[in-house]
Amino acid sequence: MNILIVEDDCDTAQYLLSGLAGAGHSTTVAHDGQEGLEQASGAKTWDLLIVDRKLPRLDGLTMVRRLREAGLMSPVLFLTTLGSIDDRVDGLNAGADDYLVKPFALSELIARVAALGRRPRHAVTATSLRVDDLEMDLLAREVRRGGQPIDLQPREFRLLEYLMQHVDQVVTRAMLLEKVWDLSFDPHTNVVETHVSRLRAKVDKGHATPLIHTIRGTGYSLRAPA
Amino acid sequence: MRLRSIYGTSTFRLSLLYAGVMGVSFALLFGVIFWSTSRFMQHQIDDSVNNELNEIMSAAPGDVAATRSIVTGLARQSSGFSYLFQDAHGRVLAGNIQALPPRVGVFEWDGETKYSDRRRGHLRGQGVRLADNYLFVGWSTYQLQEMEEFIANAFVWGTTAAILVALAGGAIMSGRLVRKIETVSATSREIIQGDLTQRVPVAQAGDEFDRLSLSVNAMLDRIETLMGDLRQVTTDIAHDLRTPLTRLRQRLEIAAHSNADEQALRQNLGNARREVDDILAMFAALLRIAEVESGARKAAFSQVDLAEILDTVVEVYRSAADEKEQHLDHSIDPRVATIGDRELLVQLFANLVENAIRHCPPGARIVVMAQRRGSEIEVSVSDNGPGIPEVMRGKVLQRFVRLENSRTSPGYGLGLSLAAAIANLHEAPLAITGNSPGLRVSVRLIASAGA
Repeated sequence: MNILIVEDDCDTAQYLLSGLAGAGHSTTVAHDGQEGLEQASGAKTWDLLIVDRKLPRLDGLTMVRRLREAGLMSPVLFLTTLGSIDDRVDGLNAGADDYLVKPFALSELIARVAALGRRPRHAVTATSLRVDDLEMDLLAREVRRGGQPIDLQPREFRLLEYLMQHVDQVVTRAMLLEKVWDLSFDPHTNVVETHVSRLRAKVDKGHATPLIHTIRGTGYSLRAPA
Repeated sequence: MRLRSIYGTSTFRLSLLYAGVMGVSFALLFGVIFWSTSRFMQHQIDDSVNNELNEIMSAAPGDVAATRSIVTGLARQSSGFSYLFQDAHGRVLAGNIQALPPRVGVFEWDGETKYSDRRRGHLRGQGVRLADNYLFVGWSTYQLQEMEEFIANAFVWGTTAAILVALAGGAIMSGRLVRKIETVSATSREIIQGDLTQRVPVAQAGDEFDRLSLSVNAMLDRIETLMGDLRQVTTDIAHDLRTPLTRLRQRLEIAAHSNADEQALRQNLGNARREVDDILAMFAALLRIAEVESGARKAAFSQVDLAEILDTVVEVYRSAADEKEQHLDHSIDPRVATIGDRELLVQLFANLVENAIRHCPPGARIVVMAQRRGSEIEVSVSDNGPGIPEVMRGKVLQRFVRLENSRTSPGYGLGLSLAAAIANLHEAPLAITGNSPGLRVSVRLIASAGA
């Protein structure tokens, strides 16, 4: 992916650059809001913008709002220090697609970058999801694998739905807490692990090919067998 | 300087205005009195003069000689009337005044008139023509002028005295106010100089100045408490930071100088990172408390489903309770909704449950309860753990206050402070009570109409 990083702190920019390069992305760094605005509205098309909130010359929020007004379609990921809730809400209102609070683990960033990059520009509201022989009917709220119905609790259903929406991607614990439990903080309990293992028992048990995979140190991934 | 300060006061300026308004109203009042009194007296004169004239004319209708003798007789009586009977050439035929230009009707004669007696002054009267002759009856305007002069004098002296009294009253009042306000100002100046212990003296008179002083003092108490809190928090942050930072420094020092293998080094670095994460988490909690206390979040309040929030919290912490072999039970009325901030309310109850799990021994029972009580919803987290001694219950809500003085157990003593700040934002103060045995923390949230 072509990623534009707008970050004034050189150390952080370097950290992002090397981390994303390691994940196979090509990155460019702009060092202030004005430069970011020029780069982003230039000839090159970007698959993703990673923008710091506090920037010299033009703050990140204004920059993204202007870019959105000018018709920029690329997804935007905001970076911010010690997230205050209002900041996050403002950021998403300004047109950002995701939000990551510093300090963050590189694996977390890479997972979110991957999720944003694959996101369809205009989300199609699907009524059913399918991965290999696993089917999910979003209207009837039913799940089947190989035609056999699977009985899921509401939270397990939401968890599986999110995993199926992000098939073949790595989703982190924080992403799951945010999207499945609506939690903006980490409660430091193994609630995610417990639910994933329960879901795994219902979805994968008795099937030759497991669909739910644990990615060590990062999160989980739902994958169709190759 | 002192006088100038009195003249400069708003009270004195008000007194001046008041004196001015009073002067104008006095002038109006005296004007009316002056006008109506002199009108009344003129009418009196005119009526009696007219009567006298009619009487003379009816006693001797058309007879010059009879008229002459009547007028001569009347003039001698010194009844107060002035009589004049003169012929066409202005010769006085009878009467007690000099000849006048023969004007008909009621008029005032401004010219000098000579009376037969010693009185002098202007005349007001009525003249008629009797064939070629002229008859006039008048009355001295002396009394009228006296009266007018008297009223005018009364006006000048009365108004002057009243204005002087008003100004003096204003000056005295301003002086008192200046003194009273000066005590408040003087106290404020001392406080600005840095002496926060100063208080405005209260006179015990129960007047509005005492109430002002009491309010100012209450405000100063609050400011002093806040300043104290701020100092305390600053010190606490410094202390709480020093311990993990020292540990971190030691770790890095060992890592830098040891010749351990790569795996040990990695583990060391991992521990160091966790140490830093803890410090950052502490800052995040502090910032969040500050954000909540600023009240800015209130603008984004909306209807929230408390049952859903509490179910999520119980679900999230169930595994943590299981790990410690504790029983996490819940009894949640499904019809509980309130107006608030979902994210913050999740944090509030998460902190309470986490706190209970952390401080209770294995086997303890923790109960999350939500009940509708009239217009309120009572949410409580209770346990049968060690509890908090009564004297400490108020203190644990403060930042960095923990029961263990050793500061060895995890956490920075911010969980309950954050919970308390969130509860206050929702106008539902945290209540900490005993659960004999154990602890019960509860909030009473306002039930929303949609519940």
